[in-house]
Amino acid sequence: MKNIRLLLVDDEDDFRQTLAKRLTKKGIPPEQAENGQKALSILENKRMDVVVLDVKMPGMDGIEVLHHIKKRYPKTEVIFLTGHAATQDGVHGIKTGAFDYLSKPIEFEHLFGKIKQAYEKIEREEEKLKEAEFREHMEMQMVTTEKLASLGTLAAGVAHEINNPLAIINESAGWLKLIINKEEMAQMPRKQDFEKALNKIEKGVMRAKRITHQLLGFARKDDSVFSEVNIMELVEEGINLVNMEAVYKNIEIVREIAPDKNTIWSDPSQLRQVLINLLTNAIYATNVGGKITIRLEAMDETITLIVQDTGQGIPKENLNKIFEPFFSTKPPGEGTGLGLFVTRGIVEKLGGIIEVTSKLGNGASFYIMLPRYFKIKKDLDQDERIQFLEHLAEQSNSTQ
Amino acid sequence: MIKIPTKVLLVDDEEDFAEMLSLRLIELGEKVVIAYSGQEGLDTLAKTSIDVVILDIKMPGMDGIETLREIKKQYPIIEVILLTGHGSTETAVEGMKLGAFDYLMKPADFSDLAAKLEGARKRKDEQEERIRKAEAKLLVRRSGGAF
Repeated sequence: MKNIRLLLVDDEDDFRQTLAKRLTKKGIPPEQAENGQKALSILENKRMDVVVLDVKMPGMDGIEVLHHIKKRYPKTEVIFLTGHAATQDGVHGIKTGAFDYLSKPIEFEHLFGKIKQAYEKIEREEEKLKEAEFREHMEMQMVTTEKLASLGTLAAGVAHEINNPLAIINESAGWLKLIINKEEMAQMPRKQDFEKALNKIEKGVMRAKRITHQLLGFARKDDSVFSEVNIMELVEEGINLVNMEAVYKNIEIVREIAPDKNTIWSDPSQLRQVLINLLTNAIYATNVGGKITIRLEAMDETITLIVQDTGQGIPKENLNKIFEPFFSTKPPGEGTGLGLFVTRGIVEKLGGIIEVTSKLGNGASFYIMLPRYFKIKKDLDQDERIQFLEHLAEQSNSTQ
Repeated sequence: MIKIPTKVLLVDDEEDFAEMLSLRLIELGEKVVIAYSGQEGLDTLAKTSIDVVILDIKMPGMDGIETLREIKKQYPIIEVILLTGHGSTETAVEGMKLGAFDYLMKPADFSDLAAKLEGARKRKDEQEERIRKAEAKLLVRRSGGAF
């Protein structure tokens, strides 16, 4: 109530100033305007919650001012002050969008009450709007999660079915290769063409196999094995596995991990997969001579592992897409577009959250927040969603 | 050096795959017999001498694991290599506990398959060799060293 932004518009100076004084005493110092023109110019510079507006004014009258206000500042509430027994004006005002009207001479307490009501209405509307926005956001996210879940099931089924014909193609090509490399085939015409085509077939099969296996890896049943994991050791292992690439591009890998509090209870092999995926991406994104920083922030209940690179960064329009399946910026054949999709799947399965921040040209940072003790859940599907929504709620609270 | 062919029984319900893989193995000098189901595989084993069975896990009717149990019960010395789909690693591990030599994921890398086939064959040969020696010792002891 204290911080209501109030504007008083009336051409009768005495009346307006007296009213302003009393309102100030009540803790609501209003802005003042002696005509419609002035009122609109004040509104242009400062948003008002409530405008108390006299209908009868020389020049631009109240109705006209109200029109302007409602058109440009639909959230601002207007209380009309009409002349004695001019009910017509009041009704017209309400039809145009005024909150209410009072007939002069007005009772101060009455007006004060109306201002309060108008402000409460604004608060209610804002709350409703925020709630609607939140719900919309949440629904969108839920649709995405559900879409991804059913997509995962479908993809796994397709991948499984495709593996069989792939195996047939693979064996057929392999057999032909064996034949044309036999001694009796040494003089075979256009042998090189055959060899070339067969190699391409085998390469194509390998590529398809990579995709099917990654898809199946994502949809794999819950076969996690939990144990105590030392994050520092895990990071070293991960770095060792990708180190060749890093050395080749002269990329420095910096570890910022305190030796204490870095053990958690989780699935080491899946976490290793996450780390390798993120490091591989970081190395791919980082230019020659760049730097990758791995940082661990350990809290009592959670840990946050951060992989930060000095690469080209992720354009804003892609930030929402990078965790979607089959989204890749690598040239065709190099990336499956499943790396981060699978990574997120793993992190969420382990009860964690993965987030990314990036600025084009300034590298990217991936944050993995994991619980220190993974709690094994009874109804995994149900719980995962609840946790997800709670996280959303937290996020929207912190931004309010 | 003349290659001694490994006698392979390939059990897979996917006919095109079985045919192509067998042709490839034959091209490498192995002797291959195909069976399109677990039961057919067991029938083949009853009348043919086999060194190594390459066995698909996912088959209608008698599945790979069941077939494996039966093979190991009746012919414990024959080595079995399992072919699995992705994500059935647990089944593969179960199979190895039941006595399978190793497993491969479909579509399998042929050099892997060749290497495992050789390993399986070698293990069977060595086992047979040990059995032969043990039998010889037994024979010597029984006859008191006097032939």
